[in-house]
Amino acid sequence: MSQIRIRRGKLRPARVAKYAFLVLASFLSAFPFYWMLVSATNSNQAIMEMRMFPGANLIENWKTLTAGYALGTAFLNSLRNATVTTVCALFISSLAGYGFVVYRDKYKNLVMSLLMLSMMVPAAATLIPMFRMFSRMGLNNSLLGVMLPSVATAFLIFMFRQGTQSFPDAIIQAARIDGLGELRIFLQMYMPIMKPTYAAAATVTFMNAWNAYLWPLVILQSPDQITMPMLISNTMNVYVVDYGMVMLAVSICTIPTLVLFFALQRSFVEGILGSVK
Amino acid sequence: MKKFLSVLLTVVLLASFAAVAGAEEKTTITVWCWDPAFNIYAMNEAAKVYAQINPDVEIEVIEVASNDCETRQTAAFISGQMDDLPDIVLMQDNSGQKFLSTYPGMYYDLTDKIDYSNFADFKVNYFVSEGRNYAVPFDNGCAAMFIRTDILEEAGYTLADVTDITWSRFIEIGKDVKEKTGVPILTCEMGLADFLMMIPQSAGTWYFDEEGNPNIAGNEVLKATLETIKQMADAGIVYEAVDWAEYISTLNTGKAASTIQGCWILGSVVLAEDQAGKWGVTNIPRLDNIEGATNYSNQGGSSWLVLANSENAEIAADFLNQTFAGSTEFYQTILKSSGAIATYLPAAEGEAYAAPHEFFGGQAVFADIMEFSAQIPKVELRLYNYEARDALRDALQAYRDGGDLDSLMQEAQDTVEFLMME
Amino acid sequence: MTTTQPKPLRKSKGLMHHINRVGWLFILPAVALILVLCFYPMIEAFILSLQKGKGNNLSWNGLNNYTRLFKDKVYLQAVQNTFFYLIIQVPIMLGIALLLASMLNDKTLRFKGIFRTLIFLPCATSLVSCSIIFKQLFSPSGLVNTLLLTWGWISEPYPFLTEATSARIIIIVTMLWRWTGYNMIFYLAGLQNIDYQVYEAARIDGASAVQQFTKITVPLLKPIILMTTVLSTNGTLQLFDEVRNMTNGGPNNATTTISTYIYKLSFEQVPQFGYASALAYTIFIMVAILALIQMKVGDKQ
Repeated sequence: MSQIRIRRGKLRPARVAKYAFLVLASFLSAFPFYWMLVSATNSNQAIMEMRMFPGANLIENWKTLTAGYALGTAFLNSLRNATVTTVCALFISSLAGYGFVVYRDKYKNLVMSLLMLSMMVPAAATLIPMFRMFSRMGLNNSLLGVMLPSVATAFLIFMFRQGTQSFPDAIIQAARIDGLGELRIFLQMYMPIMKPTYAAAATVTFMNAWNAYLWPLVILQSPDQITMPMLISNTMNVYVVDYGMVMLAVSICTIPTLVLFFALQRSFVEGILGSVK
Repeated sequence: MKKFLSVLLTVVLLASFAAVAGAEEKTTITVWCWDPAFNIYAMNEAAKVYAQINPDVEIEVIEVASNDCETRQTAAFISGQMDDLPDIVLMQDNSGQKFLSTYPGMYYDLTDKIDYSNFADFKVNYFVSEGRNYAVPFDNGCAAMFIRTDILEEAGYTLADVTDITWSRFIEIGKDVKEKTGVPILTCEMGLADFLMMIPQSAGTWYFDEEGNPNIAGNEVLKATLETIKQMADAGIVYEAVDWAEYISTLNTGKAASTIQGCWILGSVVLAEDQAGKWGVTNIPRLDNIEGATNYSNQGGSSWLVLANSENAEIAADFLNQTFAGSTEFYQTILKSSGAIATYLPAAEGEAYAAPHEFFGGQAVFADIMEFSAQIPKVELRLYNYEARDALRDALQAYRDGGDLDSLMQEAQDTVEFLMME
Repeated sequence: MTTTQPKPLRKSKGLMHHINRVGWLFILPAVALILVLCFYPMIEAFILSLQKGKGNNLSWNGLNNYTRLFKDKVYLQAVQNTFFYLIIQVPIMLGIALLLASMLNDKTLRFKGIFRTLIFLPCATSLVSCSIIFKQLFSPSGLVNTLLLTWGWISEPYPFLTEATSARIIIIVTMLWRWTGYNMIFYLAGLQNIDYQVYEAARIDGASAVQQFTKITVPLLKPIILMTTVLSTNGTLQLFDEVRNMTNGGPNNATTTISTYIYKLSFEQVPQFGYASALAYTIFIMVAILALIQMKVGDKQ
């Protein structure tokens, strides 16, 4: 015990350096975010002068924003699209990621490699063929149309596949001996234990779906389907930009991702072994 | 039973008649455009005007950013899925030729529907394809110099001293102003690319010859344009803002004395209320020693198009004809509330245009701008407009970094030819 | 493309054989969706890449679009830029992310939650505000120039965004800023699968922090590190948003990437979808080769 104490004493400069590094990284990370929030409370004029402190224009900006734009519609549409996409994507992709590891054989490995290829085609290139196909299927302006391309992504499958590799095989074997069916093993054993991976996957999937721009833009053309990124694009495309209002819209746009992060971050850090023990 | 059936039949028939009648009663024309304070406002005002002429027509305006408008039209045209497109779209003048020639037949021919003699020639021309007209011109992009008269005065100049001048005189004055007041005379967005469009047009020249082939290498006007821009930048009299936000802020916070821009910048200039009375508007400098050089040009602006696929194309055309192409009064209304300056020439006769503008020390700026816009030289924009501009922008950058101008212009010519090759 | 039909295994081993067949049902929904929604458009895009013409007016062009690439200066510049970003940015980013994650995994560390949240913030911050502020920071009258001038390091404002090398570096800084926290999340999630007692045991055995990092963290996180490397390589080779918002490819195409060029060819300039598709396929091939190398290296170690 005393040995450890001495060691800790020795490590003190290293610890100071660690804190210094973390403080610096946090400051650099948070600064533009802080500026965004501050700008949302300032007038256009104050932002032009690079004012760094909160102002009194928040209510004014809110009034301009809600008077000129269908903020509620856009927010709810985006929320609906991103939530449904995330839930479906997590289920379908984790199912596949699990399948590729637990039922590993050379054919499945080959299929996985082929799926990886799909991740590598730039979105701008498949936009037109996809749009053509979706139009033929009558999926324009529908939730299904906007979410389908992000429900099964090689990215997520890969993520779950990598995560599953550290999943203890013994648990599966034990469950099989207990007579659990394969799907029930997945639902009852795997899903709860893999909470950290699901939490991380949910955060990034939601973030991607929430910020998606090009595909929703072409597939959701009806005005009642407008999403937050489209709304922000509209607020910027004017002869006289009101940056206070734009920054308020942009700040509002970050809320869902942050809320989700706050809600799920505990899962990345508490970990499976802690909960199993 | 028979009675029941006949009643049912009558009800069904009546209902369907009612439905048909109802549908006929309410024709909805949808419009895509951007900027609530400007285009959308104007469109809604036009809807009010038309409601009195044809009450059966409803105009529904949907806000779509200009890039987004173009992306959606491209996707729709190329996949043949045009059901979701509106009846009327607003389009930037610079994009006109690209869409008209890439997607022939997609826009409704307005040649016989609109009296084009009421519009400035240069503006109409942006949307002429194979001799047919496809757009109703809207907002004015007439270039003007917006300048701080108080800063000029401090350096011993007046608005008259910067009116009808050449670029070399402008640079001279700029150096003097910088020396005496410490303020750069001009602000613009990084790279000064806007001048690559404004200056050639002011001399009636564009990047292409009559056949539509690139006319960059050895083009005297373009060469003079690049030289002028470099001289201006080298003289240290230009503030190059990194982006639009900073550009506007330099205007509003006195970091620069003037801007040379399309007249729609007026809306941003007047935002600095504390500077009321300190601004003036005049025409832009002209090229030295170039035949046909004028003090007038165009920068930006947009026009309304009707989609050929629209079921209500004819009504949409009539709507545009009776409002944007037919009502002087309408233009007075939108000028007063939004500062949207028309390209519809008869509008200039209205009282709103003659009124003095307090922010500009009582100068009748709108009348002046209308006068400038009547003198803008007409140029032939072509399909590969953006490509040529980008190539010239790159050439300008390399030239400013010390490259040889003639070979850079040859390179730009090659680049455009490469892009035109299939 | 090969078929995804379940093929019976030759070496049948009773129960395992049956279970592995059940496994196909797990991957079927995802595979079917990807086949229809990704491979089919990819094939269409490939057919398009063999055609030429503007807009809808297309005709066969053989492999000319592909040979044309080698004569296209902008394309060659874009490839060069993209690899420049890749080589500089990905290792730095993943290194910092790994370092941050292992620091934050320390149970004795105070204020972990605050640090973690702050470092994640860039991911949630919209690109709009990020690009506005980064451009302002590096503008002629921005904070960076003001500081450098005050300290006397430079005598006149440096045009960071109009000078080729500095513009590229600013793009890299923006990417680092935006994506380091994102990768950190994967590492944090991965670290939870490592028993914390391993670290405590190592500490009692006298392993230094550096040793713990290289001997425990890195080897045990290998699958996740491999994943983030493949994903970041892919993300960087397809880099689009940051460049479009920060410099739009300028000055003089010094920051253009292959993706921004594809977008420009499809939606900004006169649309040449055939040529744009050919370009897209070159990215595809490059990413595929790199991913293959990374996976091979990753699996061997």
